[in-house]
Amino acid sequence: MLEQTLVIACKEIKDHLREVRSLWASAFHLLMGPIVISLVLFSLRNAPHAKTVQIISSMASIFLLVSAFTGGMTISMDILAGERERRSLLPLLLNPVSRSAVVVGKWLAIMLLAEVGVVLTYAAFRLVGVPLAPLAYATLTLLPLAAFAAAVQLTISTFCRTSKEAQTYLSMLIFVPMGVAMFMVFLAPHPSWWLLCVPILGQQALLINAPHSAIVLPTLLLATAWCTALCLQYAATLLNRDEIVYGR
Amino acid sequence: MIEVRRLQKRFGPIQALSDLSFSAANSSITGLLGANGAGKTTCLRIIAGALKPDAGTVIAEGSIGCLLDHMGLYARLTVRENLAYFGQLQRIPAPILATRIEELLTTLNLREVADRRAATLSLGQSTKVALARALVHNPANVLLDEPTNGLDVPAVRSLRDHLRALRDAGVCIIFSSHVLDEARALCDSLVIVAHGSVVAQGSPAEICRLAETDSLEDAFIQLTQTEVACA
Repeated sequence: MLEQTLVIACKEIKDHLREVRSLWASAFHLLMGPIVISLVLFSLRNAPHAKTVQIISSMASIFLLVSAFTGGMTISMDILAGERERRSLLPLLLNPVSRSAVVVGKWLAIMLLAEVGVVLTYAAFRLVGVPLAPLAYATLTLLPLAAFAAAVQLTISTFCRTSKEAQTYLSMLIFVPMGVAMFMVFLAPHPSWWLLCVPILGQQALLINAPHSAIVLPTLLLATAWCTALCLQYAATLLNRDEIVYGR
Repeated sequence: MIEVRRLQKRFGPIQALSDLSFSAANSSITGLLGANGAGKTTCLRIIAGALKPDAGTVIAEGSIGCLLDHMGLYARLTVRENLAYFGQLQRIPAPILATRIEELLTTLNLREVADRRAATLSLGQSTKVALARALVHNPANVLLDEPTNGLDVPAVRSLRDHLRALRDAGVCIIFSSHVLDEARALCDSLVIVAHGSVVAQGSPAEICRLAETDSLEDAFIQLTQTEVACA
């Protein structure tokens, strides 16, 4: 099972890396945040330093959270919905390979690109001179969040019949972390402890340096891992449905 | 060898297969003939293990390779990579797989296009690559669902030759079609399907004798319509 999972993951990554145009599109998508922030930095060049830091770091936190969802977006719309659209899913599943190996292999491929997205966005922020010192440790919690995002994107892609349909829903998905991030920044800077243990909400709270206890981080990581596993399991059961395998 | 016993399958209100039985021997090409919607594709999918029947059993001696109506090559991978991917998923050890791929590229005349991406292939070449992919694990049985659809004359002819060569190598081939001339030219045994069950099985000559006509087309019409009259 492990070997086949890796075979699938490698094939998906190789396949996607050959789609050079969509790689460029993903990169531009990811760089929107740093570009916007550098414009804001420029317009605040005469403002008092404390105010600049406050505005910029809360904006940067929103873009960073969203970056966990952008890096894997283009590959995920192709990886299963595209496979359904091109009618290659049935031949794939006729091989002696378990549904979970297919799901996990594809998830690994999306996850890799999602992690690259987070790292790239973080690096670009450093490059334009965003004060990220308080964010460094919180950014690490975005890596498991990107794994969760990859699982959600894979599940959505499994549901959709064409990559165009998947694109619609996956673009809508971006608004979830965006909305959550804005909610935390503007409305709940002092969240209750349980809010900190919910995936996405928790990561954002850490990014804006909300006060929290030592129990929060391990609980958040566990919750994120658990939600990821649930999503993957659900995607694997979807692949047992006839209308997913044959449906157009 | 493949034996199908009393298969039944229903999709909502449609009874796709009702009590379908036939057998296909090794070293022979068995043609599954029927009008569109007769149940050929459903039957092949069940044999392939892609669909579960509501009732009935499929006995297959040895492994199965499939070229179903879903061709599904990966456009951005080369022909070799497409074959290698499925070979790896079939758990063929790397050195054996490498020689097997070279062997298939030679026998199916795909050597020239071996390192081209699948997106750039013609339909005839794609069909051959899909066939090569179905054969990568050297299956004892091969299922083909209307493989000649949309192919030009030379491509059909070369596909036919490959299937004959496979048969002579001992493979059991089941081939679905609604083109009677093609079936007559290629098949050792015919299974005529109408409304989800078998109305006749035998060599083309036997089928004609059964229907008391000289042409396979008349026999086909007569046999499939008798079924309507009975139903």
